[in-house]
Amino acid sequence: MFDFWKKKKSASVAKDRLSIAIMSDRGGRDIYPFMDDMKQEIVNVVKKYIGVRGVEIKKEIDGDWEAISIDVFLDKNV
Amino acid sequence: MGIVIAVISGKGGVGKTTAVANLGLGVAMNGKKCAVVDFDIGQRNLDMILGLENRVVYDMVQVMDGEASIKQAMIKSKVDENLHFLAASQSKDKSVLSSEKVYKLVKELKDNYDYVILDSPAGIESGFEHTIEFADAAIIVVNPEVSSIRDADRAIGILDSKSQKVKDGGEVAKYLIINRIVADMVQSGEMLRSEDILEILDIKLVGKVPEDNGVIDASNQGKPVILDKNSIAGQAYKRIAARLCGKKVEMKDIEVSDSSLFKKIAGIFK
Repeated sequence: MFDFWKKKKSASVAKDRLSIAIMSDRGGRDIYPFMDDMKQEIVNVVKKYIGVRGVEIKKEIDGDWEAISIDVFLDKNV
Repeated sequence: MGIVIAVISGKGGVGKTTAVANLGLGVAMNGKKCAVVDFDIGQRNLDMILGLENRVVYDMVQVMDGEASIKQAMIKSKVDENLHFLAASQSKDKSVLSSEKVYKLVKELKDNYDYVILDSPAGIESGFEHTIEFADAAIIVVNPEVSSIRDADRAIGILDSKSQKVKDGGEVAKYLIINRIVADMVQSGEMLRSEDILEILDIKLVGKVPEDNGVIDASNQGKPVILDKNSIAGQAYKRIAARLCGKKVEMKDIEVSDSSLFKKIAGIFK
């Protein structure tokens, strides 16, 4: 009975699996709807401590692995 | 000049042809001149759903090849004279389609009707690409289920890169229909909610259609379910058709079933 409540509902499992599958299908299209917002937030956080010129986010797929790498370019004058 | 709407899905069997038949008839019942065209060459089905299979004389490939005029080939609906239907070719192969021919056909229809609704074949191959090529807008039909949603996203991706409107620097308007929703399953967390599907696909919703046994009953008889006043799916298509005609119709929350609504109300008095 306790297990029943702990078990994740299948619709939310579906949502998680779909989000990942679709993200990888889109691959080169690189459409993360949140990308611009995320970039801006990263810039804001790093800026608090050090000058930032820009942020580049790349998605990499290697076999079963998927990763996003985030490059933060620092301001020369720092 | 009319508007050309391609109805697509990616995955087959989600209710695309049913949607085309009902939206076509629904738009016609709103007083608009509407043409529905079956682009599923070799797997003609829209004629059956509309109950017009015995009236087909000429098909769209014959029109494209100049063997028949549009006037000769269009079949008038028995229920609403505003609705005209052009059948897919059953004997030919989809390779007979070419961009020039499709453009000519679509252009001529657009000049003669307020709404031109194209029933795309399933999949994302050439037949699909020709259907979306000259569309002004697309309606994407999905079921609340993983494979349908994933395939729809692929189809949307191709729509966004291969349609002429996009190539010309414009944008194809995209609207989602979520078909075959089972309210009880959504409430119990066993079926994706429409908000989740919209978030994943990132497009606008034009309507939700509940699961309804009346749909098969309707296709058995060749009478689109929109004609069945008691059908909940038919009512949903009526609302969507009105929206397509520019009317403001509130989005009905069909994801709350009567039984769960009752429980909620009962809960208040506890």
